[in-house]
Amino acid sequence: MTRSWLLGLLRQRPLRIWGTALGVALTVAFLASLGAFITAGAGSMTRRATASVAVDWQVLLAQGASPASAEQAIRAATPVTAVLPVGYADVSSFRSAGGGTVQTTGAGKVLGLPDGYLKAFPAELRALVGSTSGALLSQQTAANLHARVGDQITVARIGLPPAQVRVDGIVDLPAADSLFQAVGAPKGIAPQAPPDNVLLLPRAQWQALFGPQQATRPDTVREQLHVKLAAALPGDPSAAYLSVTHLANNVEVRAAGSAAVGDNLAASLNGAREDALYARTLFLFLGLPGVLLAAALTVSVAAASGGQRRQEMALLRLRGALPLTLARLAVAESMLVGGLGVLFGCGLAVLVARPLLGGEVTTVWLLGAALAGLLLAATATLLPGLQDGTVTDARRTVGRGTTPLWQRLYLDLLLLLIAGLSYWRSAASGYQLVLAPEGVAQASVQYEAFLAPLALWLGSGLLAMRLLGLLLRPRPLGRALRPVGPLSLVVAAALSRQRGLLAQGALLVALSVAFAVSTAVFNATYNDQARTDAYLTNGSDVNVSGSTAMPAGDRLPVLLKVPGVTGGQALMHRFAYVGGDLQDVFGVNAGGIAGVTRLSNSYFSNLTAQQALSKLQARPDALFVSQETVNDYQLRLGDPVRLRLQWADHQYHVVPFTFVGVVREFPTAPKDSFLIANAEYLAVQTGIPAREVALLQVGGQAAGVAARARALTSDLAGVQVTDLAAVRVRVASSLTAVNVAGLSRLELGFAVLLLTTATGLVLALGLAERRKQFTVLAALGATGKQLGTFLNAEALIVAGLGGLLGAWIGVAVSWALVRILQGVFDPPPDLLVLPWVYLGVLLLAALASTLLAVSTARRASGRQMSEVLRSA
Amino acid sequence: MSNSVLVRAVEVAQHYGKVVALEQASCQVSAGDRIALLGSSGSGKSTLLHLLGGLNLPSSGTVDWPALGPVQGLRPGKVAFVFQAQSLLAPLSALENAALPLLLLGTEPQRALAQANALLERLGLGNVMQQLPEELSGGQAQRVAVARALVTGPQLILADEPTGQLDSVNARRLMDVLIAECDRIGAALVVATHDPQVATRLSEARLGQTQLGQVWQMARGVLVPDEVAA
Repeated sequence: MTRSWLLGLLRQRPLRIWGTALGVALTVAFLASLGAFITAGAGSMTRRATASVAVDWQVLLAQGASPASAEQAIRAATPVTAVLPVGYADVSSFRSAGGGTVQTTGAGKVLGLPDGYLKAFPAELRALVGSTSGALLSQQTAANLHARVGDQITVARIGLPPAQVRVDGIVDLPAADSLFQAVGAPKGIAPQAPPDNVLLLPRAQWQALFGPQQATRPDTVREQLHVKLAAALPGDPSAAYLSVTHLANNVEVRAAGSAAVGDNLAASLNGAREDALYARTLFLFLGLPGVLLAAALTVSVAAASGGQRRQEMALLRLRGALPLTLARLAVAESMLVGGLGVLFGCGLAVLVARPLLGGEVTTVWLLGAALAGLLLAATATLLPGLQDGTVTDARRTVGRGTTPLWQRLYLDLLLLLIAGLSYWRSAASGYQLVLAPEGVAQASVQYEAFLAPLALWLGSGLLAMRLLGLLLRPRPLGRALRPVGPLSLVVAAALSRQRGLLAQGALLVALSVAFAVSTAVFNATYNDQARTDAYLTNGSDVNVSGSTAMPAGDRLPVLLKVPGVTGGQALMHRFAYVGGDLQDVFGVNAGGIAGVTRLSNSYFSNLTAQQALSKLQARPDALFVSQETVNDYQLRLGDPVRLRLQWADHQYHVVPFTFVGVVREFPTAPKDSFLIANAEYLAVQTGIPAREVALLQVGGQAAGVAARARALTSDLAGVQVTDLAAVRVRVASSLTAVNVAGLSRLELGFAVLLLTTATGLVLALGLAERRKQFTVLAALGATGKQLGTFLNAEALIVAGLGGLLGAWIGVAVSWALVRILQGVFDPPPDLLVLPWVYLGVLLLAALASTLLAVSTARRASGRQMSEVLRSA
Repeated sequence: MSNSVLVRAVEVAQHYGKVVALEQASCQVSAGDRIALLGSSGSGKSTLLHLLGGLNLPSSGTVDWPALGPVQGLRPGKVAFVFQAQSLLAPLSALENAALPLLLLGTEPQRALAQANALLERLGLGNVMQQLPEELSGGQAQRVAVARALVTGPQLILADEPTGQLDSVNARRLMDVLIAECDRIGAALVVATHDPQVATRLSEARLGQTQLGQVWQMARGVLVPDEVAA
């Protein structure tokens, strides 16, 4: 009997069986895919964190300690790929003479690198001009000294006569912060800035120059061992961080005080474990509502045919079926639905995991999702099927109904209040969701903040249901339907008396739309901010950076003629002394800079970007400085600021400015202190009109324009050309570059599926449940248009009103998400970004599934009339 | 004479796949007829009734409505049905259900409700007009269905086992109402039934001196020719 019953259900109730199975499948697939996201995300974060480290460990040797014994301690603690000694020597200054002038820098450092260092640690330095061996001058030092390859410079050793060195190449030091870190400094001490002036020498030459200095002034010369680890690390960033930290501790213990480990790898993994926690938080904020929604959809789909199911059970009971038989049949249906759902859900997850998430679904997650799917199927189908009741009870689809308990308890308003309080609490704590203090092994997430968007989502949904209930009262509905004609009376009455069912359907649609919209808006805002972040680094689509001696900005007229270039601006990039501190100063054309780059309002303190540019335009000597400088020099708005800038005579002279505001960030500027001034004022005051940088706005592919720009500036030594896409990959954190992209694709895809299922299937099942009503209407003589009035009015309420309310909830939730997840954004966004194309696709998908459901119901009303009219 | 023929079926058959529901039936219903279509369950009564009312198209043969016009204009103005099972629209009150055919015809709502109201009063349902179908007894619900069929003043009423789910007292009361109202508006009445008492009740129907009643026998999808002729 069970087999016949199941076969009969598949034949006679296909929509109910496959609809519920579809809901289970979506839930299972979404859950398993999210598992794949978390697993793959953690692994890729660890890989990226370790790959980005130039030198894993910098082991500082104590005075007089033996490098050999320290190396032995390291090799005993962990397998390594390379251990190489690097000497660090302090010098008083560097000096160069040329063109009738002499340039002298401040204090600096000279490093001694052994043979094979560049091969072992290729990310530590980047060749700009000349050789990569011999004496290499850092870019900034070369600029300060006006030194070129082949020039002689003088190195002022401490306590010894100066030494002459011939420059073989000019290099960039991308990892200067870690290279010159204070190894062994107590935790919590602010990191020191790398030196402005750096010279790299072959180890033999360095030893020849600084061996005597080490003997006379041992405090000015130190030795480090640079280490590349070969140990396999755990996939999870937190576990990898702990593992590396323990290994470093082991080395320090073995070295017994003769060495301190500068653990660059642990520092990088520390950032990654923070990212991993953010990823988990994002999973909670963005993923979990999707799982809950899919589960709610399944329950709703099953409930839509609950009356039919109860009626069948009541009829079987009437014909003498024993409770055990009924239970067996209900369990069989639940197993069938669950089995089909789990099968298709797991298959879908395995199919989408690789292309969408770049990972595999693990067996553990598959089993967990399958179990959840079976439980969901049981909850959705078993309980309504086993409820006792008479045939008459089971037939009841409409009633005068009482106000639901949640409405009487004002649960919707209560949830909104909770959302507000939770949001306020997050705002008060500065939206610090993830706490991963450096040096502390365990990081933590403030999961309570999750309450705000969740409560907002649920509370708004319930409020929408309350409002729908009010809107669907006979009087307002009758007025709204008046244009329909005489039939409006019965259509309004019918819809009004089914307002509970309709509001439930509309709520599901509203929550689906809210999920889709909030996910899409959050992702679009996030991607836009990632682009803003890339603009912050690169300045524009293509950045051509030269030097004062080789100014790329002067090539702007030629570069503007490159096909694809739609605009451009030249930017000054000089250096200025603020007191004794050398800072980057950017000279901008305030009237045109906004046309080629993105200026976020958050870049300026208490000013919008537009206001800041207006301030620059208002007075030629206007100067924006960083907050740190304002604090250091106790500056107040309007204060005069005297900077020392290099003039055409190659000497530094005072140039007066007026402090007009605080700048936090600026395109192409470094993260630490810098200055913004008017380019024209700088040119006039210094007598050097050169614009060092050209920023190009590109209409199409930036990479092609970058290649052409590279060719056009190849005669300018040291010029670098970068395009936005390449920079995006470089600057993005592990979180932004890998995982959220996968999560976005997964969620946006599922959001479309959930929405089409919610609108189409729920509507179709509701209409199928009341098929007899529509068949009776057709038998009474209702025309196709009149039937359409009933069906369309219902569709309009469920899909239209539900969709409209959902869109508002979605925007509100995404706003709350963006505010609460501020830590993910760098810099925080000014406005939400609405992804119109995706929203258009959503609308079309929902519209198509609604039309399909309505037209199917309309066609079904005219088919097999005799059978339907004879049915009980 | 042809004007008095409301519906005419010529050698109509109805097949559902391999199942033959009705075989080569020919019959006609004229104005004022009272016809009982008597047969056991599954004999094809409902199938024939639905063909006569234009609900379905026959698999073969022809059905036409000489005095009523094309099939598109039959319902709800000229032909009305009373169905076997619960057929009232669940979300509408008894009054709204009864007024529905008038509203489908485009009658102004207040007028439609007034007409339905009057009819329900006459059928003794004045106290349940605002009740929903699920709040009505079986007999009340079927009388509302009769009111819904009568409200447009149709020329032909086709009733499919209207007493099938009623006890004998309610069944007799319903048939009395149905015949009386058909007499009042001058509509022809065809009732499909398995109940010989209902058939007898219809066969004895007369208007003044005029014998109106007939009984058509149906068995296994075949309409017995003799009885039709009678």
